[in-house]
Amino acid sequence: MTSSNLIKIAIAISIGIALGLIYGWVIDPIDYTDVPPNILREDYRVDYVLMVAEAFQNDHNPETAARHLASLGSEPPATITTSALEYANRNGFTQNEILAFQNLLTAMQMVQPPGINNP
Amino acid sequence: MSRLTFHNTTLHLILALLTGLGLGLAYSWFISPVTYVDANPAILRADFKDQYRVVISASYASTQDLARARARLELLGDPDPAGELSAQAQRMLAAGQTFEKARSLAQLANDLKQGFASIPSTTAPFTNIINTPEINAPQPATETHVEETVVTPLTTSFEQTPLIPVSAVINTPHPTASATPIPTPGAPFTLVGQDTVCDSGLQAGLLQFILMDARRRQVAGIEIIVTWSQGEDRFFTGFKPELGNGFADFVMQANIIYNVRVVEGGAFVPNISAPSCTDPNGVKYSGGLLLTFQQP
Repeated sequence: MTSSNLIKIAIAISIGIALGLIYGWVIDPIDYTDVPPNILREDYRVDYVLMVAEAFQNDHNPETAARHLASLGSEPPATITTSALEYANRNGFTQNEILAFQNLLTAMQMVQPPGINNP
Repeated sequence: MSRLTFHNTTLHLILALLTGLGLGLAYSWFISPVTYVDANPAILRADFKDQYRVVISASYASTQDLARARARLELLGDPDPAGELSAQAQRMLAAGQTFEKARSLAQLANDLKQGFASIPSTTAPFTNIINTPEINAPQPATETHVEETVVTPLTTSFEQTPLIPVSAVINTPHPTASATPIPTPGAPFTLVGQDTVCDSGLQAGLLQFILMDARRRQVAGIEIIVTWSQGEDRFFTGFKPELGNGFADFVMQANIIYNVRVVEGGAFVPNISAPSCTDPNGVKYSGGLLLTFQQP
């Protein structure tokens, strides 16, 4: 096989790889279903936290609120609430909503994160 | 000879192209697939969708903002949000969870069916503004921001693309005096009707219950216990709001005697069994019963 042919084969392989990547990443990427909530878009995450905050206004149960927030990831509930509160402040949420976030944050700061024992 | 060489080279090129294609697909699908971020709630795993519904209904129980709850449920992509709520409430009860946990789901399902909040909000802390993201809206302009009254924002630098005209007013209908009936505390339910239902279109042996208060309004959340020689079943009224707030049902097996007890007030109906019915062709089948209870 001549070097010219080898070059042609290398080019053909390269074109094939490029086509494969375009097809696999752009035309028909892997279709995700059954995803966990920790990859929810930020506004959905914040709305979820807002719902938890609204529910907390009613039931005043920090354990239930913390359990709901835990599904958003491994971060402590207070951290998740803080992030949501910052987003709410940046995006003009109502004062009532901000207040709900703040009340939830206060409660979550008192909740002991799982796995941390008291001295 | 040269023709043979040409064919050989072409074959090599095609094989090389296909090999490259396979390598590219393997890399893009398995080794380094598209990393998914910014997911929407519609593609959540089923158990997380269940939790999402629980949180939506818990939030609704606090705010009584039906429009917002409906918008949030739409994010999950359920074809029948109210039916899904009812089904989940029943699954929770079947799994042994308390009625209190399932109540908010059933309440929201019921209110979605009737189209208004059955318990009007008194404090209305969150009813003025809808800030729930829409399913396909880009970020950060994902907020649906509808104001009924002027609210002073905390940050003045907020930029937002209103998807609904800011002046739009939400005319959420409110009931005048038709909140979900609550049973008169302590008043016993008594059996006021026991009707045989011969309808071949219904499930064989269907035992239906309707519970009403003293003003003949159907009452949700009443526990009913059905016992028979080898078992017991407990369920509540109101989990099929499309059939009525005070409706519940149970399927009887043929030739088994059941006893029915309404927990609230202790009404007891013994010796219930599926009646025998005959269709127009003379064929016998198991019919159903309709038991109607009412508070005095």
